Amino acid sequence: MGKDRLLPILALILLFIASSSSLYVYATQSTTDTLLINGQYYTMDQLFSIAKPRSFNDSQYIGIALDDLMLKTGVSNPEQYTFTLKGSDGYEKTVTWENMKNGLLTKNRESVFSDLPKAFRVKDIITIEVT
Amino acid sequence: MIDKRFLVGIIVFGSLWGFAECIIGSMIRDVNLPAGAIMTGVFAIGLMTLSRITFRQQGMQTGIGLVAGALRFFNPFGGCFICSAIAIMAEGLLFDLIWTGFSLDKKETLTLTTQMSLGITASYLVYVGGYIVTQILTPVFSSAGFYPENLIVFLPQIFASGLLAALLGVATVPVVFVIKKTHITIQDRLYYPVTLAVSAFCWVFVIVNTILIIWL
Repeated sequence: MGKDRLLPILALILLFIASSSSLYVYATQSTTDTLLINGQYYTMDQLFSIAKPRSFNDSQYIGIALDDLMLKTGVSNPEQYTFTLKGSDGYEKTVTWENMKNGLLTKNRESVFSDLPKAFRVKDIITIEVT
Repeated sequence: MIDKRFLVGIIVFGSLWGFAECIIGSMIRDVNLPAGAIMTGVFAIGLMTLSRITFRQQGMQTGIGLVAGALRFFNPFGGCFICSAIAIMAEGLLFDLIWTGFSLDKKETLTLTTQMSLGITASYLVYVGGYIVTQILTPVFSSAGFYPENLIVFLPQIFASGLLAALLGVATVPVVFVIKKTHITIQDRLYYPVTLAVSAFCWVFVIVNTILIIWL
């Protein structure tokens, strides 16, 4: 049997993986009005009332300072930790305290960092884990 | 001895792919369409399939990926462009490995089922492979660093997002075989001027576009 005969089988397996992954992603996607930071739930209004505002690129990106947010939510000695921002779709990125000093959280729950590439813009953030 | 025709083929196909990634890819992204899947499932797979069935030589798509990646490097927009350039190079290598692995150069003709299966397999693996390479390289090249757990939890999303590329590939590969059957060829005396002019156009367009975006 030629190797090319295996192609349809492999194609079917890949389609199965892609389809079942799509179903899994759809089923596990979560929506919430609150944001879980370091084990505590907050509403966006609460967060915007406690943390300092920050903007980048001539106010193209406006939000609250991520470093100040961590301090106001009770993270002490933040330079000793890393911060994992998790989106509702499962996308997550881990950043350092230095990055948090250059980061903001928008009203749409998106992270923007002036010192990191676009890949670090986590959309619809539901959790910020401090580890 | 290195075949000059083969080398020029790599340059022209790589330049076309790089041009598509930088210019057409940006346009698709601007209208909020899934640019990554469209670029891989249509342009990358289409150009690499056409080049492979025309030249039937191993290693060609790796070379095409290198040229396209180099051109992407001259278009420093849209996130981590170094990572995108390396991801394109990896995609070329992956396509080469798939085609060589299934010994498809030895076949005179491929059935429609094989063509469609090849479209799914190549598009999906090339897209997913490129995506994973980018997810690893972007943090590596940034000050944040790479955390494997960030990638592992996101794998289902990556596997799911390859579905569109695979479905586009089902049509792209058979269409390329149909185009090849029309036997459109360039006369020998025109081969080098035409291919080099097309390549030069792609490079000049991307570089001028980059300069204009920076200045304006």
